[in-house]
Amino acid sequence: MLDGRLKEYLTGFAEVVVAIVAGMLIGGLVMVIGGYNPVDAYYQLFVPSLTTGYGLEMTLSFATPIILTALTFAVGVRAGLFNIGAEGQMYMGALGAVIFGAITLPSILYLPLEFIVAAVLGMIWGVIAGILKAYRGVNEVVSTIMLNWIAYWIVESMRVYVIPNPVDASKTVSVPPAGRLPLLVEGTELSAAIIISILVLIFTYFLLWKTAIGYEIRAVGYNPLASRYAGINVRRVALYSFIIGGFTAGIAGFCEVAGRPPSYAITTGLSNLMGLGFDGLTVSLIGYNHPIGILLASIFIGAMKAGSRNMQIYARVPLEMVQTVQGLIIIALSIPGLLRIISRRIGGVR
Amino acid sequence: MSSSSCDVVVEMRNIVKKFPGVVANDNVSLKICRGEVLAILGENGAGKTTLMNILYGLYLPDEGSIYINGKRVIHASPKDAIKNGVGMVHQHFTLVDDLTVAENIVLGAEDFKVYYNPGKLIEKIREFMKDIGLYVEPSKKAYELSAGEKQKVEILKALYRRISVLILDEPTSVLSPIEVNELFKTIRRLKEKGISIVFISHKLDEVLEIADRIVVMRAGKIVGELARKDANVRLLASMMIGASGLSSIEEKFEKNTSTGRKLLEVIDLWVKGDRGEDAVKGVRLSVREGEIVGVAGVAGSGQKELAEAIYGLRPVKRGRIMFNEVEITGLPTVERIKLGISYIPEERVRYGVSLELPIYENIYLEKIHSEKSKRGLLEALGVSPLKKRVMLEYAQHVVNKFGVKTPSLTTVAGKLSGGNIQRLIVGRELERGPKLVIASEPTAGLDIAATNFVRRTLVDMSRRGVGVLLISSDLQEVLSLSHKVVVLCNGEVMGVVIPGEASIEDIGLMMTCSKKMSIEEVEKIWAM
Repeated sequence: MLDGRLKEYLTGFAEVVVAIVAGMLIGGLVMVIGGYNPVDAYYQLFVPSLTTGYGLEMTLSFATPIILTALTFAVGVRAGLFNIGAEGQMYMGALGAVIFGAITLPSILYLPLEFIVAAVLGMIWGVIAGILKAYRGVNEVVSTIMLNWIAYWIVESMRVYVIPNPVDASKTVSVPPAGRLPLLVEGTELSAAIIISILVLIFTYFLLWKTAIGYEIRAVGYNPLASRYAGINVRRVALYSFIIGGFTAGIAGFCEVAGRPPSYAITTGLSNLMGLGFDGLTVSLIGYNHPIGILLASIFIGAMKAGSRNMQIYARVPLEMVQTVQGLIIIALSIPGLLRIISRRIGGVR
Repeated sequence: MSSSSCDVVVEMRNIVKKFPGVVANDNVSLKICRGEVLAILGENGAGKTTLMNILYGLYLPDEGSIYINGKRVIHASPKDAIKNGVGMVHQHFTLVDDLTVAENIVLGAEDFKVYYNPGKLIEKIREFMKDIGLYVEPSKKAYELSAGEKQKVEILKALYRRISVLILDEPTSVLSPIEVNELFKTIRRLKEKGISIVFISHKLDEVLEIADRIVVMRAGKIVGELARKDANVRLLASMMIGASGLSSIEEKFEKNTSTGRKLLEVIDLWVKGDRGEDAVKGVRLSVREGEIVGVAGVAGSGQKELAEAIYGLRPVKRGRIMFNEVEITGLPTVERIKLGISYIPEERVRYGVSLELPIYENIYLEKIHSEKSKRGLLEALGVSPLKKRVMLEYAQHVVNKFGVKTPSLTTVAGKLSGGNIQRLIVGRELERGPKLVIASEPTAGLDIAATNFVRRTLVDMSRRGVGVLLISSDLQEVLSLSHKVVVLCNGEVMGVVIPGEASIEDIGLMMTCSKKMSIEEVEKIWAM
């Protein structure tokens, strides 16, 4: 029934528009109270980053890792799991890529090996939570939060003790030029990582909607009891969902290390990685945990990230106010998605 | 009593309610009189529940209006309805398991406070219950209650909110025969207090027993209204299913006479229930090819645990399960599915379908296993591509063959009525060519046409050599379809009978643990 589904998409879209408008109104009010011009500020936040060539390139480069970490969360939700471990899985992926800065190899091997090791480390970090969930019943929210911090300190201690940068102690070794993804536009941060990101997005879409395991993941997510009764191995589905999620998050780490100038490394306190996993959670919620929604939402969030500099420089809004306003918009956008998940978790099977 | 000459409490005028693909209520007008029992009779999907959900404020009507005591009202939520004196008890209970009966009753009521004295509350509710004349120990926790008691609490919950119209949606579907009698007593008592009762049902005998006035609905319209004294089974049935369906009422099924070798054998089976108690205690039974073996018992006698153990959903504590002379006790469900065992679970919405998935994906849920060959790497990993066209074709075949009424194959299952969901499940389970079918409450909550359809399908399957284990709390159903009937009480086999050879009274005694057959007698029947 196409018209029914179309109606669903339209209400979803309307929900997002209402949320954006509401978030912007509240943010605008805050700016007025603070004595800033909201029209000017919002213009600088969105228009250059979505309409100028340079702005758009920045927007997409910010969107690149978020698309991937959003997929982690989305695949979890589809299987009925609240996997918020993208952050740690992404750290591990980044580690897997950056260690090649300390290894000498034939040039051609760098990129493929970085990709593979990043993916594998991400998957391992994901599957730990998966095994704990499937075989010991450990709540995935608790285990993934803990694993995020374990990953943080593993990577941080590696940065300090094992692979420090010999010329700049504030970061790890950088991957050599042969191990970097080519820039798509010189002078920007937009690299071929965006292409990888979109390919992984398409791959995940295919996996979820066109394969047997995806079918099982979705069935278990909607009704685990009926799925068990239908002979589906619910444990295996949970493991798969964590492995797929770990894969995409690991690739996010790879993209940040191999595809983002200028450092091509992990910086102190993981400052160039921190928060990308949770940004993904937001993006997934805004995008209805659907690949197409995730693509659009990540571009929106990417635009906000890219535009914040303009908002500071040209609209003269201080950084704290920019972050407050962005936070308000993001919260407003996440509310519908969060409510849906909460009501499903509480209500169980209707 | 006719509606024109009574004290009208509620009037619904020209109600129209459309859902995608169906008109659930098509210009329906209805009056409810003070202190009457009004039965709304109709098949599954006739629009009875929708109409009452509108009155209770769960749905807004697309057109039409509601008047209460002559005043026009809008019920935008159940809160509005309760304020106007309309209460409803749904088929599925809404009690909080960990709260006491008293707490459940006051929860959300006007005078409910966050801080309260539990002891005083229980005394207050005890007084209230005595006033009403309907009693469930108020200090008990909700999870300790039987289905009948839970229903009483639901009714008390509504009455506590001082309602004058009480809607009961299929109230007997979860009750044992004794509990049904209790419910009828309750209804009569409430009626004496001047409360109007709306009794939604598709069971003719119950409606004839309890109703003062009967309204019959079919396909979203009211097709007849009559006082009880003018009604009889034949008349009501013909109104309910339309003239064309008349021949199928009370269909008799001829049992298959040639049974083959042993298909399923359960030996000294012990299974634990959800709370760790022994739910199945040393059960022994067997099903031959072409044989229907019934399992009778009061609800909660271990039927569910038995079925789940045979299907591999619940671990076996002790004992063995043999299928075609091969032990399957430890096999996972998917392997049993591949061996040719089908299961039609009870509580179809909970265990049978995914309401958010489209029809065709629900139908393919198990078929997918038979495609996995483990030969290819992709298949072993589970990432083999789905063949949507094949899935759609198969689903179309099942939908046609089993008469699932749906706007399209991509409609989500949640949009179907209960009867159509059951047709979907039955179709899914029987079309994949099983050798053994475990059917749990396969006709619970279904209308006559759907019930006959399911029963006929099961009998047809047995004629083709399929073994059937029929678990049902409808004793009449078990006796009329089965070759042999195992009677369970408290997880134990109390006896095995051949329908027609044992008296109903004896079976009743065994169901209540008051009589147990000797091992020799039981063995004799198994040997037959």
